[in-house]
Amino acid sequence: MTLAPSLTGTVNPASARLENVCKFYGEFQALKDISLVIPPGKVTCLIGPSGSGKSTLLRCINFLEEYDRGGIWIDDRLIGYESVGGRRMGGRALREMRRDIGMVFQQFNLWPHMTALQNVAEGLERVKGIPRARAHEIAAEALAKVGLGDKTGNHPSRLSGGQQQRVAIARAVAMQPRIMLFDEPTSALDPELVGEVLGVMKQLAAEGMTMVVVTHEMGFAAHVADRVVFMERGELVAQGSPAEIFQNPGDRRLAAFLQGYLERNSLEL
Amino acid sequence: MMELDLFREYGPALLRGLGVTIFCWIVGTACAMALGFLLALVQRGVSARPVQWILRAYVEFIRGTPFLVQLFVLYYGAPMLGLRLDAMPAGLLGLTIYGSPYFAEIFRAGLNAVPLGQIEAARAMGFAPATILRRIMIPVMLVSALPALVNFSIILTKETVILSMITVPEIMFETQTMMAETFAFAESTLVLALFFWVFVETISRIGRRLERRATHYLLDRS
Ligand SMILES: Nc1ncnc2c1ncn2[C@@H]1O[C@H](COP(=O)(O)OP(=O)(O)O)[C@@H](O)[C@H]1O
Ligand SMILES: [Mg+2]
Repeated sequence: MTLAPSLTGTVNPASARLENVCKFYGEFQALKDISLVIPPGKVTCLIGPSGSGKSTLLRCINFLEEYDRGGIWIDDRLIGYESVGGRRMGGRALREMRRDIGMVFQQFNLWPHMTALQNVAEGLERVKGIPRARAHEIAAEALAKVGLGDKTGNHPSRLSGGQQQRVAIARAVAMQPRIMLFDEPTSALDPELVGEVLGVMKQLAAEGMTMVVVTHEMGFAAHVADRVVFMERGELVAQGSPAEIFQNPGDRRLAAFLQGYLERNSLEL
Repeated sequence: MMELDLFREYGPALLRGLGVTIFCWIVGTACAMALGFLLALVQRGVSARPVQWILRAYVEFIRGTPFLVQLFVLYYGAPMLGLRLDAMPAGLLGLTIYGSPYFAEIFRAGLNAVPLGQIEAARAMGFAPATILRRIMIPVMLVSALPALVNFSIILTKETVILSMITVPEIMFETQTMMAETFAFAESTLVLALFFWVFVETISRIGRRLERRATHYLLDRS
């Protein structure tokens, strides 16, 4: 697969900052006092066992999930609330902030009644107000850039998982977000299709997109991430460069998690 | 020859009756769907207790009473409350009210069946709620709801005959007139049955075609 040189054109990558973020589901605390800086133009990978709160954390960043305490800033703008501990932000202001935040889901979540092209063009037309003809041009370009120039007329049911996920990435990227969130983007894919999706993500990373990636692909985390964050039971347990996390896991729980991962994957071979 | 004379005399009235029946069905079904959709939206979007309570009472009352009784209330009862309706508006309003809770239930189930992830994808991109409803939820919902919508619309065709009881000049009413004046029971009921059969068959054909069109993109990869 060959990709055109640039996925994003020129964007001005955003940073994100989380301070003492807490999230409760009833009595259960899913996020415990999370503080974290997401540097602009860098790839931050979230790793940890299933149920540790990675998705919850990611979904708080674009306020798909409402956090209960603390604050999350995109650049210097608080998302979700008018002030820390204050009133909920208005719908219009929230939507405006979300335009800058792209998201890619484990289950792709393409709209089944639209072709690949329509999936990508829809947001351009309905959110950005770009006229249809121009939106379709941009969408076609975005699809060509993820290697799907010949699939623009296909509905999602006529695309493989890897192709669907690339459409989903094109859909997010075409909106020219300044930060992108990925929630296990390759976990629903057959093993042989993982590479094509990771390839597109690597290119985005190389172009300087700010990326936050929840992943079980330790290879991707080790080679592409600038920062790796390890979570367990709603806590941020360790963070550092890939070298610090993978070669030198000081924390006992992190070491046990990585050991378990190595064992599972060597057993599968 | 007897029959030919009969239909020469009553044919125009019967044809008018057919027209009125089709008109009542189209308008009544469309309005019932619209009201049902509105009810489903309120049920989904407004969590205030009193609103939900009123809604449930309405649905239960309408589903728990016969259509004929509802029509009598509208036509003979409502004037006492100062609402005087002619037969036709009363009939159309009756169909609308009678059908609305059933359509509401179909729409409610259909909207709930739209995968949350597809809605979240739109939310995450900054879509406004009304746009999500119009561009994503309704088209996706229609695919799963279409068979039930067609089915209940067909049931409503047969409920239209009850409008004859409040003197709406639809096909049943005209047939009864013809029967009373000529005692041609066999001929008139045959016409009536034949008409409904063709009417229902036409609607189900259109329904099947709509279903095929709505679901073509869900077919397995070829
Ligand atoms: N909507 C919800 N209601 C109640 N509990 C939830 C909900 N979503 C997630 N949880 C719980 O929060 C914890 C963290 O979930 P999640 O963020 O999905 O974990 P991860 O993505 O790391 O696997 C889990 O224990 C999960 O059961
Ligand atoms: Mg998860």
